[in-house]
Amino acid sequence: MSCEPWSRRRQAIVLIDGNNFYASCEAVLDPAVLGRPLVVLSNNDGCIVSRSAEARALGIRMGQPYFQVRRELERQGVVVRSSNYALYADMSQRLMATLEPWVEALEIYSIDEAFGQLSRPADQRSLHDWGRQLRHHVLCQLGLPVAVGIGPSKVLAKLANRLAKTTARATGVFDLGSMDDPDPHLAAVAIEDVWGIGRQLSRWCRLRGVADAKALRDMPSGELRRRCGVVGLRLQQELRGMACLPLETLPAAKRETCVSRSFSQPITSQSELREAVATYLSRAAEKLRRQQQRAGAITVFVRSNPFNGTSFYSNSATVSLPLASNDTAVLLQAALPLVAVLFSPHKPLHKAGVLLQQLRGEETLQHNLLLPLPLEQQHRRTALMATIDQLNRHYGSGTVQWAAAGMQTPWRMRRSRLSGAATTRLDAIPMVRA
Amino acid sequence: MPGSASLSAQLIRCHASTVLLRVSGESMQAAGIDHGDLLIVDRGLEPRPGQIVVACLDGCFTLKRLVAHQGRLRLEAAHPAYPPLELDCFDGARIWAVALHVVRTLKAP
Repeated sequence: MSCEPWSRRRQAIVLIDGNNFYASCEAVLDPAVLGRPLVVLSNNDGCIVSRSAEARALGIRMGQPYFQVRRELERQGVVVRSSNYALYADMSQRLMATLEPWVEALEIYSIDEAFGQLSRPADQRSLHDWGRQLRHHVLCQLGLPVAVGIGPSKVLAKLANRLAKTTARATGVFDLGSMDDPDPHLAAVAIEDVWGIGRQLSRWCRLRGVADAKALRDMPSGELRRRCGVVGLRLQQELRGMACLPLETLPAAKRETCVSRSFSQPITSQSELREAVATYLSRAAEKLRRQQQRAGAITVFVRSNPFNGTSFYSNSATVSLPLASNDTAVLLQAALPLVAVLFSPHKPLHKAGVLLQQLRGEETLQHNLLLPLPLEQQHRRTALMATIDQLNRHYGSGTVQWAAAGMQTPWRMRRSRLSGAATTRLDAIPMVRA
Repeated sequence: MPGSASLSAQLIRCHASTVLLRVSGESMQAAGIDHGDLLIVDRGLEPRPGQIVVACLDGCFTLKRLVAHQGRLRLEAAHPAYPPLELDCFDGARIWAVALHVVRTLKAP
């Protein structure tokens, strides 16, 4: 273990994440809801997945089913929104672009969080002021509040980010690396809240009297290693201030791509299921082309509602493609026959999805002599797919679609309280009064 | 110059902080901004007196010129029918963005 104080370490890791990201995005371009309590609902307007600070203050809890609290939200004047993924994705891109110049390397970890790497200036003990400036900059540029956690490793940066939100005097920034004695802060973080500790592992820790981050750091390494191998050991070393997890600045090539949705109402006919599967497959194929990949196999899965008391039904079927493809027509031809296998007339379906597997790079196909079409025709198909993707990106998803995906789609996801496409579509931009 | 001229490179200083808004109303006509125009605004700039800005007033975006008047900031319209608005008369009022460009689609006669 290194005895050098953390604050003398040159390299610092920072974790920046958006506070109540979805709720914050909803307020950015809508002055009418700024400063008001606001909640965002999950798919099909199921339950609360994001709350503004004002909604939190009213005691509204995360995960509450919408139908249970609907009246109460109305009474309290809470603004309710369906998930608007196009808006969040756009704001996420803006956030990441804004963060980029502030760090030496950036790893986009999720839609609303990123790890950054930076050097601690020799003359500055604390990066607290740097964090405050960054926070102010993002708020001014984008109107999004963020929390900034700084530490000598990823796990400690994540922990510091948590402390930035929970410590009263932190005001959104916490530099664990500049602490003379970080121990009380580590002891204040429960074992369940340490990044990388799942529910089973935290139960195992608690049984051994290891209840917080400090205790985990100081427990015998051998014991941890026997329970969870090198992963646990790495986690402990990160807690001790040794950076073991490198920044992943290039996203790893995806092995699988999945598109699945719950239906707004149960599907009871085979033709509806066909439409749903065709829709999801079209989306998945679009993702695949964006990732410049082809799929070698397709799995379609369906299930009934596990909560409504009737007998649960779940099934899946897989088809292999003779030649990997990302052509929607080819994938549909292969996958749609599976619908007849999976559909069962007396089992109302609640959810379906498609999983594209055995993904490989687009370029590998060009050397294959068994092309399904002459090369020139193949290029024309590729151009057609690119045009369709472009149209759907510009004019909204589903502008151009395969007839198999259906025209009237009562099963489509319920999003009754969707905000406009304020940043992604010209016909939905907000109004300014002059 | 190599390459072709890009409109967005000309009009957008910073993509992350740029927002498009649609103008509704006539109060800025004399400043060259009409009802229906598309406005390119930047949230990342420090607003200075003399600039045309987007303010948040009573839950609405409002487009006016920011003016320093007798030591106080106010919002002035570019139209005789609209009186100036003193910024400190509004609860929670703030300048939201600086307006940089107007895009107007020409109508056929």
